[in-house]
Amino acid sequence: MSLLPRLALQQLRTQLRTTEWRALLLASWLAIALTTLLTLLGDRLERGLLRESANILGADLVLSSSRPLTPERLEQIHATGVDQTRVVQFPSMVSNPAAQDRPPMLVSVRAATAPYPLRGEIITEPPQPGHLPTPGHVWVEARVLDQLGLALGDTLQLGYSRFTVSAELISSPDRGTGFRSFSPHILIDRADLDATGVLAPGSRASFRVLMRGDKEAITALEAMLRPRLADHERLLALRTDQPLTGDALGNALAYLKLAALVALLLSALTILLSLRRFSLKQYSRSALLLNLGLSPNQLVRVYLYQLLAAWLLVAVLGTLSGVLVESAVQGWLTNLLPQRLPAPTPWLYFSGAALGLAMLILLGLPPVLSLARIPVAHLLRGDAPPQDRRARSLQVACLALLSITLLLFLQTPWAALVLLALLLVGGVAFGYIAQSLLQWLSRPLASRLLLGRLLQLRLRQQRKWHRLQSAVIVLLLTLLAVVWVSRADLLAQWRAKFPVDTPNYFVINIQPWQKEGLDRFMAEHRIDSDLYPMIRGRLNQLNGAPIRPQLTDEQLQDNTLRRELNLSWMREQPAHNDLLRGQWWDATPERPQISVEQDMMEDLGLKLGDRLGFDIGGQQVEAEITSERQVEWTSFRPNFYVIFSPGALESYPTTWITSFRLDGERKQLATQMLEAFPSLTLIDIDQLLAQLSVWLKRLGDSSAMLLALTLACGLILMAVTLLQALEQRRFESALMQTLGASSEQTRQLDLLEFLLLGLTCGLLAGVAAEATLAGLQLALLDVEPRLHPWLWLILPLLSSAFFVGIGFLIRRPLRLDQCYRLLRAGT
Amino acid sequence: MDMEQSTRHPLMIEARDISKHFDTEAGRVELFSRLNLEVARGESLAIVGRSGAGKSTLLSLLAGLDTPSDGSVRIDGQLIETLDDRQRAQLRASTISFIFQSFHLLPELTALDNVRLPLEIRGAADPAHDARHWLREVGLGERTDHYPAQLSGGEQQRVAIARAFATRPSLLFADEPTGNLDEDTGAKIIEHLFRLNEQQGTTLILITHDAELAARCQRRLRLHNGALEELVT
Ligand SMILES: Nc1ncnc2c1ncn2[C@@H]1O[C@H](COP(=O)(O)OP(=O)(O)O)[C@@H](O)[C@H]1O
Ligand SMILES: [Mg+2]
Repeated sequence: MSLLPRLALQQLRTQLRTTEWRALLLASWLAIALTTLLTLLGDRLERGLLRESANILGADLVLSSSRPLTPERLEQIHATGVDQTRVVQFPSMVSNPAAQDRPPMLVSVRAATAPYPLRGEIITEPPQPGHLPTPGHVWVEARVLDQLGLALGDTLQLGYSRFTVSAELISSPDRGTGFRSFSPHILIDRADLDATGVLAPGSRASFRVLMRGDKEAITALEAMLRPRLADHERLLALRTDQPLTGDALGNALAYLKLAALVALLLSALTILLSLRRFSLKQYSRSALLLNLGLSPNQLVRVYLYQLLAAWLLVAVLGTLSGVLVESAVQGWLTNLLPQRLPAPTPWLYFSGAALGLAMLILLGLPPVLSLARIPVAHLLRGDAPPQDRRARSLQVACLALLSITLLLFLQTPWAALVLLALLLVGGVAFGYIAQSLLQWLSRPLASRLLLGRLLQLRLRQQRKWHRLQSAVIVLLLTLLAVVWVSRADLLAQWRAKFPVDTPNYFVINIQPWQKEGLDRFMAEHRIDSDLYPMIRGRLNQLNGAPIRPQLTDEQLQDNTLRRELNLSWMREQPAHNDLLRGQWWDATPERPQISVEQDMMEDLGLKLGDRLGFDIGGQQVEAEITSERQVEWTSFRPNFYVIFSPGALESYPTTWITSFRLDGERKQLATQMLEAFPSLTLIDIDQLLAQLSVWLKRLGDSSAMLLALTLACGLILMAVTLLQALEQRRFESALMQTLGASSEQTRQLDLLEFLLLGLTCGLLAGVAAEATLAGLQLALLDVEPRLHPWLWLILPLLSSAFFVGIGFLIRRPLRLDQCYRLLRAGT
Repeated sequence: MDMEQSTRHPLMIEARDISKHFDTEAGRVELFSRLNLEVARGESLAIVGRSGAGKSTLLSLLAGLDTPSDGSVRIDGQLIETLDDRQRAQLRASTISFIFQSFHLLPELTALDNVRLPLEIRGAADPAHDARHWLREVGLGERTDHYPAQLSGGEQQRVAIARAFATRPSLLFADEPTGNLDEDTGAKIIEHLFRLNEQQGTTLILITHDAELAARCQRRLRLHNGALEELVT
């Protein structure tokens, strides 16, 4: 080995024993592991679930409709000659007839026609010969087997029919869009569907045609269909649309990456401070090396080699640990995911190491280059060389480059930029607030205590470190408190927000001929509920003219215009809607009247007396707005944007909807209701929320894991800053003792300083955490903010304990005879 | 009490048979042994000697910052070895000041706050006022709010001189006070030092390489091969 690399290696070996290099290595290790983990996991989830591969769609093109497909539409597709098949998907309750004590379970039912699917394949356990269950058989996902206590060969009840469970569904394409893709799935043959009775005219379901063909045929078909889509139709093509599973997962990933930004920034800060400390210590050495005849270029090379060697070490360790954690995380996601995940793109294994290299080089270059410009006179004088403007601008440029690298890695540049700005601004603000607070707190002490006046000098002297330390600690404690509280609190609070009598069952798709019997069942079992009629129609006219030309672009984006509305009619005003303006009709008015929901009135700029026209199954109905209602959308009761007066809609095809609450023993009634009316679509809200909360919990666990990593990064950073300050503290302490203070006094001063710093940071973190939580509660959950008094106690205690603990752990008492040795000539 | 003692003890420092050795891995290093030294109140004394002779070590013994391996040191009549940590701090606070070669100002404090520091340690009545007065005395009345980095080496040493005199010490130690300064600046520092010393009647013990500086003192001693010899001009 030639001289320079050997020198670099030797330097690294001796420096591995110093705290700054250990901190630097630890911080880069964490950063590399975290980056590797997130890029690998992100890539696999994205390629497996987000980018709509043919395997996810189950076809090359899918037409999805919320109404049965019309014969014309089917004919259009048939005429092009592409392969096609049809699927219906809808929510329903299923039960295990052999285990009456188990409540029915909410599932998503798919009824398909062979061949199915057209792309990708269904994987079952045990493997089955055909592509679909044979008639009378059903394939179900593991969660259904678990919850209903079923084994293969057992019987499953769906509506009026019983099916034999012949296989477990491991993975399958075409899971549909929206929340239904999260629910456990069961798969039957389309031929078995009618007998179940669960799907009647007007039922809510997703009706799909899957299509497969060569590229030109599919492109032509897409071009033909897209302009002619009706309101209730969607076209899903490769790469054009994202199913909602993807959206939710995409959001979750983006959220995790943002959380990781905090950890990466802390690591970067640690590396920056470590390198600065390192380079300060290297001034004399590099002045010596330059004096001995090493050229500045060679000197830079020596230090760069040293950084590279360090990088090599942490790159291997970091990548390895990142890959290990990734496979663990992927393990506990598998039974939630509809697909096996593909292997990661190979070059992404190096992403963490690459980011680590960028961090080390970009942060390391400015101090290394400044080492090469040390004037040799430094050896004689022993002072630090002045920072020239070139070094400054180089440092700024490197930091900017690093920020860009981080933002690119996070892939959500805007959100990350906002977060970055927020962290920086918040950090600076917290730093300065903490410092003023410290000074303010020390004032009363100063007038009473001799130590208090020294404390004021100490606070002034340590102010830069205090700012940095309190900014980091306040941010970390806030993060910790918010994640801690919100994990347990928010979901519980959100649920508690609903009054105890909030309905927990919905029944939809009630057919007119079932209404009377159901009314009787409800009355008999004293279930408190009202049945509401529901008719679908599209808003198309305002005051006798087409509505679209009368609205602004923004108004045209409104939900009420983009899809069909659920319309209802009723005699009495619903008890859970307040009337804001106008009057409810009495009896049956001569001409149709409507009551419109408040937000829709506002968004579309409607006023009382306006006439709205609706297209209901091809017929035009017009009515005058005579009242405005307030609707609590989260009440879990049937709610409607538009309610008609009696007499206007009775002749149109109607289904009915209701909701009610059953608790404890009475939940049995839901089972009985399904037995009496097997074709009802009963939805158990509790189960729906439970299915949702599994995802929330996984998200919570992931953020807790990231939080732990972030905390680790923060602790390393704290240790580095305290150590840096320690050097200075030793000098100060030595000086104070020669100036007449006793070592006991300097100890008390340190204690007082750390205690005050801890209390201040804890207090600030308490305020910040409460504010963040209140914001979350208001913005996300729409609940009254609640204070958490214990936070105000715990956070100051925790942070004082932290500062005093670490402070005294690294504080070495200074004997008197060491004091003078530290201060005398030469240093 | 100070008054009583000072009347009873005309000697500011009295070192009897002091020795100092260090035990290192390479064996025992004997710096000096059985040194005797008496310094009268108000006297100025220069210690010269080549680098490594043990001058700084001797100074830390005379200042009560370190204890001799053998022998005893009295400062202002008090036997150092009989004092505990608190009492020694008390003695330093009431009697002693230091000036260092590397100035040792706290970089994050202004000139004013640096001078205030020892006054605050003593719980003085109006530290800011006194500090300002002493900065004026060394000609830095206009630079009170400047930080050490904004001052030249000579100016920093003047702040250190102000800090040393601010507590009105009866005993002042200076360890190569001009060692980091060029000749002209060093000369100025010497002027300030001796002017204030005369004005305050301080006992001054200084270590130097500088012949001119040494010549300004009433007595000169040379530490050489572990022995102290009086130089007579
Ligand atoms: N604690 C110690 N342990 C070992 N050797 C020491 C210690 N303190 C000082 N020395 C040694 O004593 C010698 C004299 O040091 P010093 O008093 O600083 O000399 P001077 O001030 O005359 O240059 C030096 O060789 C130094 O290395
Ligand atoms: Mg010396």
